[in-house]
Amino acid sequence: MMFKKITRNIKSFFSKVNWSTRNVYLTVKRAIGGVFRKFWSIVTQEEKRIERNRMKLDFVLKYLNLDGKDIDIQLDLDIAEIRKDLVEKKKALSVTYKKDKNQSVLNELNTVSRVIKYLPDDNRTINRKGDRKVETNKFIKAMIYLSPALILLAVFTFWPIINTLRLLIYVGYTESDGSIQGYTIFGNFIKVISQRGFIRPSAGTFSSALINTLLMAFISVPISIVVALLIAAGLNSIKGLKGFFQTIFFLPYVTNTIAIALVFKFMFNENFGLINTMLGWIGIDKVNWLSTNANYWAVMGVMVIYSVWDSLAFKIMVFLSAIQGIDKQYYQAADIDATPKSKVFRKITVPLISPMIFYIMVTSIIGALKVYSSVITLINEAGEIRGATYKMKTIVMYIYEYLNTRAPGNLSLAAASSVVLFGIILLFTLVQMQASKKRVHY
Amino acid sequence: MGAIMEKKYLNRWKLTDKFVLAADAIAVILYLAFFIKAFIDIPIPTKEELVDVNFIFNGFQMSILAIFAMIATPLLVIDSKTHFNKVEYEIDAWYGGNTFVKGLISLLLLNPVSAILRFYNTHNVLKFATGHSYIEAIKNMGRWFKQKLEAFKNRKNSPDHEGEATDEEVRLRKKIRTQTIGIAGKSILLYGLIGIAAAFVFLPFYWMILTALKTFEETQSTNPSFFVALKDMQWVNFKYVLNEMDFGLYIYNTLLVGVISTLGTVVTTVFAAFAFSRIDFKGRDTLFSILLMTMMIPGELYIITNFVTVAQFGWISSAGNKVFLAMIIPFMTSVFYIFFLRQTFKQIPNSLYQAAQVDGCSDFKYLVRVMLPIAGPTVFTITILSVIGSWNAFIWPRLMASMLPNNNESFYLISVALNKASFMDPEGMRLMYNLQIAASALVTIPLLIVFLALRKYIIRGVGRSGIKG
Repeated sequence: MMFKKITRNIKSFFSKVNWSTRNVYLTVKRAIGGVFRKFWSIVTQEEKRIERNRMKLDFVLKYLNLDGKDIDIQLDLDIAEIRKDLVEKKKALSVTYKKDKNQSVLNELNTVSRVIKYLPDDNRTINRKGDRKVETNKFIKAMIYLSPALILLAVFTFWPIINTLRLLIYVGYTESDGSIQGYTIFGNFIKVISQRGFIRPSAGTFSSALINTLLMAFISVPISIVVALLIAAGLNSIKGLKGFFQTIFFLPYVTNTIAIALVFKFMFNENFGLINTMLGWIGIDKVNWLSTNANYWAVMGVMVIYSVWDSLAFKIMVFLSAIQGIDKQYYQAADIDATPKSKVFRKITVPLISPMIFYIMVTSIIGALKVYSSVITLINEAGEIRGATYKMKTIVMYIYEYLNTRAPGNLSLAAASSVVLFGIILLFTLVQMQASKKRVHY
Repeated sequence: MGAIMEKKYLNRWKLTDKFVLAADAIAVILYLAFFIKAFIDIPIPTKEELVDVNFIFNGFQMSILAIFAMIATPLLVIDSKTHFNKVEYEIDAWYGGNTFVKGLISLLLLNPVSAILRFYNTHNVLKFATGHSYIEAIKNMGRWFKQKLEAFKNRKNSPDHEGEATDEEVRLRKKIRTQTIGIAGKSILLYGLIGIAAAFVFLPFYWMILTALKTFEETQSTNPSFFVALKDMQWVNFKYVLNEMDFGLYIYNTLLVGVISTLGTVVTTVFAAFAFSRIDFKGRDTLFSILLMTMMIPGELYIITNFVTVAQFGWISSAGNKVFLAMIIPFMTSVFYIFFLRQTFKQIPNSLYQAAQVDGCSDFKYLVRVMLPIAGPTVFTITILSVIGSWNAFIWPRLMASMLPNNNESFYLISVALNKASFMDPEGMRLMYNLQIAASALVTIPLLIVFLALRKYIIRGVGRSGIKG
């Protein structure tokens, strides 16, 4: 009892405090608001404005011979009609005045124009103005909400796009003092494309940055898609331990590229690595994966294995949710016909999620074209294997190489190579958009 | 059957379970505290000591504590979920057995308090579900075994036995048996394949943790071992990496940059998504599609200009301390998150907005009071993804650090440090893989913990995205 009483007292005390604080708050708010309103009316000379408007209205009413009558001009008169009449009258008067320059006609003309000017807005105009005001208010409100994001995007997204176009036409641009040596249209592109090692293979080898990147993308993406599909289908068909396996398969999703690539580099070490030890169990000699004089395809193999491992988690997640979204009726029908599992997979599962597979394939290829961090960790900054004739460079590596060597004009070359990369990505995106329009499953 | 389902025992179970949870929580905290205490107490080694074959580090205590924490934490999480979700009719004799086994686990984890409480709770559960306690349960189990044994002994006399069945029955039975074996074989094959794939996926993580706990000599072995004994676990590697190689500082830098840029991202994207989803202003769709188009452009194109821009803003000064601004501010917004949030906001019915407007609720109030609580999980997803993204950020922070004129090492973020730091042995001849991989593990393990804890929210973001965490 005692406890209840005390709590009630405390509660009532706080509610009183709350109530009085709220009163004080509202009073202060009202007072401040009033002061601001007063101040605003002084600044805008509101009283004078009202007075002027009244005088204008009186003038109009006097001209229309409605002076002193108790009418509401907005409601009782058709202002649009009156305005039309007055405009016609004004035209007639001006014609008359041009004919014989009469002073009284001029006065009349002036009066009519003033009346037209002072005539209040008709309803349609008022509506239109109101709509415009609402529209403007909405726009201002939206801009207030958008401004933090838009300012940042303008500085760090839109300006770079414009600046890239600007850089493309400069020759020998130095970013520290902004000096340039001339202009060109395709010069930077030609320089980038014709350089050995970017698109053309370098001397004595078939590899170039473009070929390396495309090979990595077109080998690793199909493998990872097939593996991910099989695992997703397997995960979908088991019951026990499903959550456990899901968790393990999803683990690589959030990993740090540099850290895991370092682990892979150690695992693929020629002498101390896990992979060579495991190959030793089945009687395969030590493979020189990444060390001096390593074979091109060995290095490519490590890249492919890394990127398959890295992208598997995401693909399994997407495919698993896609498979779970398939209507169960198809599987029940297959069950009744006693269709074998492999046929169900080939004829039902894959065709039904084929749009998803295609979408993932294109986005993964786009992602694989931008490979950079893993390559520089697995090999080195320059993508060079000691003693090898080829260089395992990627397209993005070229861009950063131009950025890091601060010679005049290199920024333009970096811009040109990034635009080349964008062009390739755009190509794949367009293919994807064209294909997704058709939406053919079978 | 008269005495079963007594409410009394249910209430006792509930109360005791609360104490069990509390005891488990205290135990987990103690394990972690002792682990951290032991870690702090490790004398900071030199590189020469780490390379030395005769250098001995006994990691038994820390390994035991780490394993205890690794077992006890998930148990605690599962138990608290069970405690709050368990329904009366789910409590049966099996649940009693479950509790008993958990009590044994608690005993193994040197936690006698929760073990005793769990044994007492087993009694409560048994009383509630079956009306009798331990002794009767053990007797029942004995009876069950006896019955099975009898049935096995008398299998020749049982009516199911093939000897007394007709030929047709025998044939059918054989067929059923082969079918069962086939199904079992198939499922074993399926589990085997999935298990192999899972091992392939998990192997790098296992190898990372293993290598991080090995000595230098062991990493230089051409025949690497797959296990490390508890007392040989070299926790000292982590100590060296954190203290001597300044990874503590790098983690602090990364968290600073990550937290601030995430806060900024959440604020800007929530406002922008609100404007795009609720305010019907002129040019909205045009602006939005322009924003979406920028998502297609590779990030390298932005970097080319942005590193000049941040230099012009004066963020790359010789003192260097403004360089964090250059790492934070360009990443304070994200078109993808705006898109993601807008989709969620659009699902909230517009009638709520109209009702709020009729009641004179301002837009900001509506956003904070109505929309954010409804879209809370999505905002949380964005927060996690953004934090993970800045934890993994590499290219831009590296460029920023490399642009500083001097002393740029104290402004590294964690990925940059992993890339740049030298893990050579004192003679500069051989790479100290154990230290390098320990640093990698230091970067990866927090991510794994975050992923395991918040898996639901992270996977929610995947369906809509074509990008990696």
